[in-house]
Amino acid sequence: MSRIEFIGVSKIYADGTPAVRELDLAIEDNEFLCLLGPSGCGKSSTVRMLAGLESVSRGAIHLDGRRINELPPQHRNAAMVFENYALYPHLNVYNNLAMPLRAQGMRRAEIDDKVRAAADLLRISDLLRKRPGQLSGGEKQRVGIGRAIVRHPAMFLMDEPLGHLEAYLRVEFRAEIRRLHEQLGVTTIYVTHDQEEAAATADRIAIMRSGSLQQVGTIEDLMDRPCNRFVGEFIGEIPMNFLSSRVTGSDGSAAVQIGGTAFVPDARVRRALGRIRGQELALGIRAEDVQLANALDGEGLPASIAVVEPQGERTVVIVDTEADRVTCVVASDEMPAPGEHVRVLLDMSRAHLFDHSGTNVLESEPA
Amino acid sequence: MAEIRFEDVYKSFGTKAAVQGVTLACPDERYVCLLGPSGCGKTTMLRLLAGLESPERGDLLVGGERINDLDPAARNVGLAFQNYALYPNLTVRDNLAFPLRAPRRRGQFSTSDIERRVDEIASLLKIGELLHRRPSQLSGGQQQRVALGRALVRHPPALLLDEPITHLDARLRYEMRAELKTLHQRMRTTTIHVTHDQQEALALADVIVVMREGRIEQMGAPLEVFTRPATDFVAGFLGDPPYSLIDAEVERGASGLHARIAGTALPLPVSMSPAVAAGARIRLGLRPKHISIASSDDRDAIPGNVYSHEMVGRELQLLIQVEGGWLRFRTRDRLTFRAGDPLPVRLDLAQARLFDHGTGRALTAGRDSTAH
Repeated sequence: MSRIEFIGVSKIYADGTPAVRELDLAIEDNEFLCLLGPSGCGKSSTVRMLAGLESVSRGAIHLDGRRINELPPQHRNAAMVFENYALYPHLNVYNNLAMPLRAQGMRRAEIDDKVRAAADLLRISDLLRKRPGQLSGGEKQRVGIGRAIVRHPAMFLMDEPLGHLEAYLRVEFRAEIRRLHEQLGVTTIYVTHDQEEAAATADRIAIMRSGSLQQVGTIEDLMDRPCNRFVGEFIGEIPMNFLSSRVTGSDGSAAVQIGGTAFVPDARVRRALGRIRGQELALGIRAEDVQLANALDGEGLPASIAVVEPQGERTVVIVDTEADRVTCVVASDEMPAPGEHVRVLLDMSRAHLFDHSGTNVLESEPA
Repeated sequence: MAEIRFEDVYKSFGTKAAVQGVTLACPDERYVCLLGPSGCGKTTMLRLLAGLESPERGDLLVGGERINDLDPAARNVGLAFQNYALYPNLTVRDNLAFPLRAPRRRGQFSTSDIERRVDEIASLLKIGELLHRRPSQLSGGQQQRVALGRALVRHPPALLLDEPITHLDARLRYEMRAELKTLHQRMRTTTIHVTHDQQEALALADVIVVMREGRIEQMGAPLEVFTRPATDFVAGFLGDPPYSLIDAEVERGASGLHARIAGTALPLPVSMSPAVAAGARIRLGLRPKHISIASSDDRDAIPGNVYSHEMVGRELQLLIQVEGGWLRFRTRDRLTFRAGDPLPVRLDLAQARLFDHGTGRALTAGRDSTAH
């Protein structure tokens, strides 16, 4: 059982730098939560406070309802996996795995059982006699994770564990980490700056920026209902499109105006209309929710094809509209040619409207 | 502008053969991507062209001229590597002007020529505002643009790019990919771009050259290579996720040929029958869109187990272990799985690619290009 709760937690370093600002976040037992954000957003400081490697400046961290701010790191029963593997170079893999158990004074036979079980789970049984120097980066990280799981911790804390593996190994390994989580069922907090990695592994993602939590949710929540422009921009393989727009008319005649083209809003936008009418807004829409139509059809934004990038099944097409560059995704059998004139259609039910402060006015509560 | 040719080129390092008899013509004005895993010889090919290595055998030609014996500085190729190699103590303007002021070009460009060319390339690459800065004051993407600008400022007939955007972060890589393509559309410089990223190669190339162990595995237009991979290696390398490969045995059934996969016999499309015979061991290549979760009453279902699953954008990507292979595909269904769960799958063989189990080569019923 490990339910973790951050209650108004701040971290302010000695030089006055606020790394984490009043964080409220609960991680459920057995949950896999990713802390996601650009470098300097406070995600590492958060996990280091939980591990006890950093003190908490303000607020409280609870583990299963008990405050642990003052609990020494070794009593928190947290296993950390870092980007650098921190293996003992003079010990073989077996002894690297056995080390944390020997430190607990466990019996030899029991240690042997646990080491072999962990090695089996991580598929490193063949490597037990090797030393870290003889292992590849991926193998070293398997041993690093093995050393974390061998002592059955209450929680796994992983700080960019795949950081310096090669790209293809990262993709393979992230699936392994998720698989391991499902087999062990231990509460896991995983720090990354890579939104694809977060989407692939997490039950929920907490996205941070400049020390402040922006939004917590499943990848679909963040994709489809970003609370602000930062989240919209940060999430998704293809960057979200932003088009300068304004809301015109009222009620029945309401429309989202982009350049000379009016788009009829869906019910969501109409509901928010009273709050946003007349404002200059950025309409955010994902490439998957933009369609290209024949220029002769006369509906949608006039545009011309700038760049065509086949991707196999699908093709990424970048078009220039009068004011903005827009990316969309089409099937590869309908690939347009650069320079061609087209019209851009937007799926308004999937659109977001961001005000000048970046807030998604469709997701925020009326003031 | 110039055509670039490799004619039966060999290069080894000690006992390791890096390039083993490659013949390749990169057509004038085209964007050619050399694609392959590390160690496939792609970077060596580029270094041979640039004159950083010498071939043991074979000829290198740029615009019909044999360049084997030319000094690297005389080769007239623009070069940008993944590490930017800008001069830290020079401004962006001086970094860009550097190749034009090189001692061997003394007198070739007047001061005003240099000014004009630097301004032109800076505006093309949108770094006009940065000309007075030094490299340390630039972001990674800006530095990469300057490096590209320096490669292009002499208007070389050939541009060589070695993993030029690989180590930029995902967002920037995305942006720079489109920039490279736009730039090529304007300048039409014959370009060879080395990458291990299949997505990058598909997006940018007019011609993709897939390399493996020092040899060309297949070359062709991106969608040609993607839809008709010549070998199981190419199939397993291209696509996101790539083709799934699964071993099968061909049998003769009442209604024609079948592929026996994990105990289930699936009819092979009639169009394939000239290419295979009963008893043959084959490897099937399936695109993700031809794999799906089987319904409970599907008699052609293949038994499998969920090895791992992950969200990719709004889709769930599954890795299924079946007898004889692994299947990777995506679904939009909102399902919850745990690793190890049984999951029967349906394979649509109508558009499967068939490979010889031994050689890995595509088995085709004619009409189809084969490996070079």
